[in-house]
Amino acid sequence: MVPYDSDGLAGSAPSSSSSITKPPQIDGLLAGAGYKVPSSELRHVAQRLERLETAMLNSASHQLSLLASDAVLYNPSDLSTWVDSLLSELNQSQPLPSLPSDLSDLVPNSTALDSSWGMEHSLSQQQNQNISQHQQNQLMVVTALEEDSAIRLVHMLMTCAESVQRGELALAASLIENMQGLLTRVNTGCGIGKVAGYFINALSRRIFAPAGSISGVGSCYTYENELLYHHYYEACPYLKFAHFTANQAILEAFEGHDCVHVVDFNLMHGLQWPALIQALALRPGGPPLLRLTGIGPPSSDGRDSLREIGLRLADLARSVNVRFAFRGVAAARLEDVKPWMLQVNPKEAVAVNSIMQLHKLLASDPTRNPAIDIVLNWIRNLNLKIMTAVEQEADHNQSGFLDRFTEALYYYSTMFDSLEACAHHPEKVLAEMYIQREICNVVSCEGSARVERHEPLAKWRTRLTGAGFRPLHLGSNAFKQASMLLTLFSSEGYSVEENEGCLTLGWHSRPLIAASAWQAVPDVEPALGVIDNNGVVL
Amino acid sequence: MHHHHHHPHVSSPHATQKRLKFCINDHIDILIEILKRLDGRSLGVAACVCRLWCTIARNDSLWEDLCFRHVSPPPSGVRAVVVALGGYKRLYMVCVRPVLSRLGRRLRLGDSDRVGRVWTRDEVQLSLSLFCVDYYERLGRLGGGGGGSGGGGGGGDTSAASLMFLCKPVNV
Repeated sequence: MVPYDSDGLAGSAPSSSSSITKPPQIDGLLAGAGYKVPSSELRHVAQRLERLETAMLNSASHQLSLLASDAVLYNPSDLSTWVDSLLSELNQSQPLPSLPSDLSDLVPNSTALDSSWGMEHSLSQQQNQNISQHQQNQLMVVTALEEDSAIRLVHMLMTCAESVQRGELALAASLIENMQGLLTRVNTGCGIGKVAGYFINALSRRIFAPAGSISGVGSCYTYENELLYHHYYEACPYLKFAHFTANQAILEAFEGHDCVHVVDFNLMHGLQWPALIQALALRPGGPPLLRLTGIGPPSSDGRDSLREIGLRLADLARSVNVRFAFRGVAAARLEDVKPWMLQVNPKEAVAVNSIMQLHKLLASDPTRNPAIDIVLNWIRNLNLKIMTAVEQEADHNQSGFLDRFTEALYYYSTMFDSLEACAHHPEKVLAEMYIQREICNVVSCEGSARVERHEPLAKWRTRLTGAGFRPLHLGSNAFKQASMLLTLFSSEGYSVEENEGCLTLGWHSRPLIAASAWQAVPDVEPALGVIDNNGVVL
Repeated sequence: MHHHHHHPHVSSPHATQKRLKFCINDHIDILIEILKRLDGRSLGVAACVCRLWCTIARNDSLWEDLCFRHVSPPPSGVRAVVVALGGYKRLYMVCVRPVLSRLGRRLRLGDSDRVGRVWTRDEVQLSLSLFCVDYYERLGRLGGGGGGSGGGGGGGDTSAASLMFLCKPVNV
């Protein structure tokens, strides 16, 4: 459930905690349907409507016909009175049920929520009674409550983020508490409740943790990261789409070359490469000599995980008769990698593959040259045949915190929606943890610790063309393959789109991940004199 | 194993005698030719008939025919790769059948893959790639270490975790 935007409710969340006397708010959603119901009476009305339904089900037929002829609603603004009158006409003999006992503990302490939430006041006046029936009705009432709470939750999240941006941390902290209270009334197993929970968690880390104590990706999390990444790979199609699309582009670029070298910016378990090895094995003319250089963080527990993956891939390559050589480069950050470490042979065709790594270089350090420029520069000079870049299609690198937060909320809600629709996977929760880490990084970290600096495709285009690259169009083969891959998933909400030669995968027409391919523009030397990179005439 | 005989309506006992003498199990080459033309499901059923049929049905070349029956010419060099990665029967079970049924259902509502569905080179390629990923993941599980192990997504030995999405029923 994507969060409703603020047009749904009349009146917005108040930003001050002082007591306010407010005019009765009309519920905006029902107003759209023509009924004017004050927000304070929503619960009352819902309850009465349910009783009415029960009574109608239980009543004798003559009473029903009476109801049918007399029940004309003359005054839409007074829905609650009308329902009450209908109920009294039906003259139930059973005791009037009030709130089922299960819901009574949802009644918040009136002190916890401030007076701005008028609904809660009328609720706290209801009495608890034990009800033996209405199992189904309970569910209905809870759903009405839930949707309400979910909307409020989103509003509060925005308010909290805004107060964080303004530096009003005390207010933000109190909003966090309120939100955690609201969370108990929402189904946190799915939908907006789950996403809100993660964002509240991330916000509270930002507010309550001392500055600088939140590290982005620590080396002690290497094994965990790999595990979560693997489950993310299995639970949803984003990484598979990335791998297959990149492989197709690389395969096409390597046509006719006998010595090829792939540089993978983030090896992980090497899940991308079996398919490429197999495709190279079967290409007309026979397989080339394939070198793979895998970059990854150093492992902390003594295992040489890069080498292990290399051995596994070599095993596979040997089975299918592809000459293969592997080299691992352990580096904590991508900017620590220097081109000489890759040992590129001038005779080979080089492909650089970056799956969601380039954005980590965007943290700008005023004392040094931006890391992204340095890295892009040495990539260009690598005798590059193709660079495949897959990035999240979101603008999570904006300077304003509130903008970033809002964008992230919509982006990750969509992503969680898509995840929910995927086939049930026993370890889907681990995939969610992977996403949760991203959320935490976007929301609660700053400076060099914030590595998840996603930028949309348009910005990457500008950046890469400015750095001396030109786009390579991903062909129709890649598109067909991506569509087929998507069809194999059980849910129908995914969509592959083509965007000026790049492919995006999205959920219900919201692109979430974008794949593109690039080649280096050769340096042009002017006829008169030679100008080096700094504009100096040599 | 008893062979079920319909009593022929021909009255002559001679003709009956002749018919009773023919037993398909004595003519394995004919049997193989017949089995070669079956679709996957029927082949699986045939494997349950008797031990002889089971042995024959396990022959990987039957499944090779099944996989590439409608792709002509079959891409060269594929056999070595497929055999190395686990064989045609496994390829069919793990990749080809789910791919065909899912994609077939999308494209042609109502046709089952029994009705000589032609599948394209792209689908072949995709199946092979997925098969390779499956092999790689199994390598990781058997070899231990390297991650991907430890509960492995609930999938048994028959399918690697990342291909589990292929085995789930489709909500089309």
